[in-house]
Amino acid sequence: MLDLIFYLLAVIALAASIAVIMVRDIFRAALCLIMLFMSVAGFFLLLHADFLAIVQVLIYVGAISILIIVAIMLTRDARHGLPLDNYKYWAGAVGLLLLIALAYGILNTTFTLPGTAPLEQTIQPIGQQLFGNGYVLPVEIAAVLLLSAILGAIAVLRDK
Amino acid sequence: MLIDEMKYITPEISLLCFALLIVVVDLFVTRKGVLPILSVIGALVAAFFTVGLWGNGGISAFNNMIAIDQFGLFFKLLILASLVLVVMASNKYVLKFEKFQGEYYAVLMLSAIGLMLLVSAVNLITIYVSLELSSISLYALVSFLKDKASSEAGLKYLILGAVASAILLYGMALTFGLTGSTGLTAIADYFRTSSTASPLLLTGLVLIIAGFGFKIASVPFQLWVPDVYEGAPTPITAYLSVASKAAGFAVITRILMTAFGQPDWLHAEWAIIIAVLAALTMTVGNVTALVQTNIKRLFGYSSIAQAGYLMVGLAAMGMATQGNADIRSGIIFFLFSYTLTNLGAFIAIIAISNKIDSDQIADYTGMGKRSPLLAGALTLFLVSLTGLPPTAGLIAKIYIFNGAVDQGLLWLVVIAVINSVISAFYYFRVVKVMWMGEPASQDKVTSSWPEWTALAVCCIMVVIIGVAPGAFVGLTQAAVKMFGI
Amino acid sequence: MPTIVPWLIFLLPFASFLLIGLILRPFLNKWPRVAGYVTIGAVGLACALAFWVLFAVMGAPEHKLMVDDIQWAIIGNLNIHIGVLVDALTAVMVVVVTFVSLMVQIYSQGYMKGDPGYQRYYAFMSLFTACMLGLVLANNILFMFVFWEGVGLGSYLLIGFWFHKPSAANAAKKAFIVTRAGDFGFLAAILLLYASTGTFDTQTLYNLVATGALAGTTLTWVAIGIFAGAAGKSAQFPLHVWLPDAMEGPTPVSSLIHAATMVAAGVFLVARFYPLFQHSAEAMTTVAVIGAFTAIFAASMGLVMNDIKRVLAYSTISQLGYMMLGLGVGSVAIGIFHLFTHAFFKCLLFLGSGSVNHGTGTFDMRLMGGLRKAMPWTYATFVIGSLSLAGIWPLAGFWSKDQILVAAFANNPVLFTLAIVTVFMTAFYMFRAVFMTFHGEYKGGAVPEHGSHDEHSHGPHESPAVMVAPMVVLTVMAVCAGWFNVTGGFSQLLGSEAEGTNLVASFLGVFMHPLPLASLIVALLGIFLAYAMYLKKWISPEKIGNALKPIYTLLYRKYFMDELYENVFVKTILYNGIFKAMAMFDSSIVDGTVNGVANTTAGAGGVLRKIQNGQTQLYVISIAIGAIAIAICVYLFH
Repeated sequence: MLDLIFYLLAVIALAASIAVIMVRDIFRAALCLIMLFMSVAGFFLLLHADFLAIVQVLIYVGAISILIIVAIMLTRDARHGLPLDNYKYWAGAVGLLLLIALAYGILNTTFTLPGTAPLEQTIQPIGQQLFGNGYVLPVEIAAVLLLSAILGAIAVLRDK
Repeated sequence: MLIDEMKYITPEISLLCFALLIVVVDLFVTRKGVLPILSVIGALVAAFFTVGLWGNGGISAFNNMIAIDQFGLFFKLLILASLVLVVMASNKYVLKFEKFQGEYYAVLMLSAIGLMLLVSAVNLITIYVSLELSSISLYALVSFLKDKASSEAGLKYLILGAVASAILLYGMALTFGLTGSTGLTAIADYFRTSSTASPLLLTGLVLIIAGFGFKIASVPFQLWVPDVYEGAPTPITAYLSVASKAAGFAVITRILMTAFGQPDWLHAEWAIIIAVLAALTMTVGNVTALVQTNIKRLFGYSSIAQAGYLMVGLAAMGMATQGNADIRSGIIFFLFSYTLTNLGAFIAIIAISNKIDSDQIADYTGMGKRSPLLAGALTLFLVSLTGLPPTAGLIAKIYIFNGAVDQGLLWLVVIAVINSVISAFYYFRVVKVMWMGEPASQDKVTSSWPEWTALAVCCIMVVIIGVAPGAFVGLTQAAVKMFGI
Repeated sequence: MPTIVPWLIFLLPFASFLLIGLILRPFLNKWPRVAGYVTIGAVGLACALAFWVLFAVMGAPEHKLMVDDIQWAIIGNLNIHIGVLVDALTAVMVVVVTFVSLMVQIYSQGYMKGDPGYQRYYAFMSLFTACMLGLVLANNILFMFVFWEGVGLGSYLLIGFWFHKPSAANAAKKAFIVTRAGDFGFLAAILLLYASTGTFDTQTLYNLVATGALAGTTLTWVAIGIFAGAAGKSAQFPLHVWLPDAMEGPTPVSSLIHAATMVAAGVFLVARFYPLFQHSAEAMTTVAVIGAFTAIFAASMGLVMNDIKRVLAYSTISQLGYMMLGLGVGSVAIGIFHLFTHAFFKCLLFLGSGSVNHGTGTFDMRLMGGLRKAMPWTYATFVIGSLSLAGIWPLAGFWSKDQILVAAFANNPVLFTLAIVTVFMTAFYMFRAVFMTFHGEYKGGAVPEHGSHDEHSHGPHESPAVMVAPMVVLTVMAVCAGWFNVTGGFSQLLGSEAEGTNLVASFLGVFMHPLPLASLIVALLGIFLAYAMYLKKWISPEKIGNALKPIYTLLYRKYFMDELYENVFVKTILYNGIFKAMAMFDSSIVDGTVNGVANTTAGAGGVLRKIQNGQTQLYVISIAIGAIAIAICVYLFH
């Protein structure tokens, strides 16, 4: 049953990502991207990572996709697709090469799985890790990062 | 307790406080001259705290997120020094921005905080977040001029930086997935018990090198450099070419040495990659620099070439069986001397461009007559970049190349020396243009006292290091002490 | 002798360079002549110290002074110390360099008077001299290389001194690039040496060679590499093409380059590493053959040149060939003795040509003639210099050339034949120059529109005393310099066996031997032929030129070597190939911000489109390809 769901999600994810590149209308491409994000959230659920699945939906589907769509709407002409697409075939070739390289790597690697079962409850341990005795420093650095991004964005985007 | 460990990040915290203070003060004061003074004070306070931590050798804090070791502290001081010099050099240049001078200094300081955390981080997550903190600040700073070239440079930098960041993240994810840890020492523990690495783990290593290859401008990840250097405000170009590059080298040295430094089969693996990249980087940088007409682009390619010399040191470090400390101190020494030299050169360029408003090398004609001091200083720095006596650049090159020869990388050193000869052509072309030829205008080119001071500091240091390197060699040898090895 | 003395010999001219460059030129622009006095003072003092060193060396055991090294830096396992090597070779060289340089600096005061670059000129001259002295004094091949490059830089700056003249700028570039080709050999030799011995120290290298630790193929390649560098600087075939063009610089510069600094550096380098050459028969043969061939090859081109400085330039190349031949078949003493005597008379001849130019405004001998009366001092000194160069007894050139001929005769008949034919050619072209320049009727000097010196319209005149005086001093040396070795004193100093004991007997004894007599007769024949062709016109040069048209053209066009280099190597391979490709790569692929592709759109919205002009995508593709390529390589070689 889980296998079936996995393959279903995988097909959706692949189809959605191919559509993101192939569709000429950038607005529709953004919608396909949302579909991709949703299927990734599904993968997280399959992996017992409920918190990540929710975060994936909240941030990627809820915030980032909306941001992209708003940006598209604010930009005139952008809906007509890329004005210049000279590197389509190059990019395709590179993508293929990347696929081969990664496939080789993955097929020749033996993965060792942890013996322990996944946690039932992930939210509390994650919270403790992030704000308790674990990754509090990176979280704080991320806060400074946001500050810097805000300051930079204001300074760059407003008039001279 | 975490609270007790706060003292280990006092330099960063104090710098952050001053950055916030500047934003607030900027709202109320009309005389903006106070802002650079506050930045310099902030940097000095941070430097004071950093020095206070010296000698606390080799401990980690915040659950192995960052290390307090002399390696990291040395680079923090180097970053703070370049911050101070860049702020002093910006003092006249910022008048181009009118508004947002406060934000300029604040964001500059935030990026310095990112770099400082980066050089002491010992966990892949901390490394990544600090890298992003410094990068995002720099994306904004590059587009600060808001003219076409600057905006384009900023956007290019942002997009390419995002790609590089994605590559790095993928590499880190693979490493984490296969070793089960993000801590550098824990990854080292994993390798200690294994006799070979799976192809995917090697891919992770390659992607990490590629991601930082972007930061340090190694071929083939260097294409952004000339465009961004040309478009960015010149003080930011200077900052990018020294502080950002030094931190990039520091963190890649730390990752390779701590996480991937043992056993022997592993470090031989990356040593060869980096040796080949080093040869390519030097050659591409130097040969392309030959045809440049814009001084900022010229320095872009020059900084690529210099990164190539530094990578010779990295490769030698990988060749050494016992993590040879001399080679590491060579890299540190090179970065130290390169930082002072390149910053000095940029300060002179900023002073000149403030007056003539051009970055074309042809417009430097007769600068020796218009400002003998600026032209003389720039000549000294170009001599140092070429690696000729009596300057720091020569010692730095000898230091690195000697280490590489000891580790059997003679072929690479031969390439490096030939490259140094090639580099003389374009460095001395600038010298020739400045001292020969009649100036287009008889106007004297002068500068403000903060710029003079910064320039004088760089000049004196470059010569002192070149003539009597003993004390500085000792300092860099003390700075090799790294947490975890 | 205090340790500081040899150091000061280098430091004084270098300090003069810094003083002029950093203080006098920027801040005391009103008194340009100060720069000249500073240089002359520094070089003069250095010259006095050089003589002190020479006498100290003469009195020292084994003619070698021990001077302690100065510890400079300990870098890792590398202990860098700098020091000077003071042996007889060094002592002779510092004396030659400082003495000739001093004469040139004094002379330049007159020649460069009123030039807007007067201070710059003296700054470069000081630097040039300092680098040459550094090269001579250094006891470490790495430092020698640094000064070697410094000499190259100095020559570049001075040959291109009048950089607004395109010919001067090109000549400077040519000199720099051609000598660079030889430097690659030198550099490779240094690296090979370091890789196989782990040391840069000259004395240690001598010991290693003496004990046989450094031998065989490695040694041969090292020696050949060093010789490649020397051939570049000393303008040996096939790297000789830069020297004739190098006369685009001010004449005193040519004089210094041709006599004591730049070209002597190559000969000195071979002499300095002579123990290495001695242990490799192949290397010695290479040096001798290239030397002998260059001697006759350059002399043949000197036969047909019409520019007085070009005649002298080819003569220098030819004489340098002699020196190399002397080193290759003989000993350090023989080669360096010729360098020693040649320095004086060649410097004299160049200063003479400068004086002629000062008087007439041209270097073209076809426009001169009859200057004997107008410029008696210049005439007298020039003739003595020419006699000395031609090898007429008892002038300096005779003694040094004789030794080379003797050594060549003992070594190989072919080399000897080349050398003796060169003697004939040398005598001929020098007196062709003398007769064309100083005898016959005055033909008007510079053509007005080319003449930059307006004051010369009133006819040729003698140069001022400040120019004549150094020429007279040099004339004395051109006459007497050979006598130092009549009894073998000079050779003994440089480590060879002494030959004679009685001065007078040795002085006259040369006529008892057939070889010196033969060379003397050959030289006189050469002078006589020039006399017959250019003074008495018994034989018409034009007729001979027409009869031997193909040969004449071949010589006049310098065997088409310039064309070969410029068209084939520089234009086709370098310029059209590599540089264009690089420039194209940079301008059309990498460089996006200045080519205007995106300039059609404006404003903030335009920026978005601007990044889509292709560069950014290309950069991303490059990053991806790079990462994948590395990964694939790792898979393959893992």
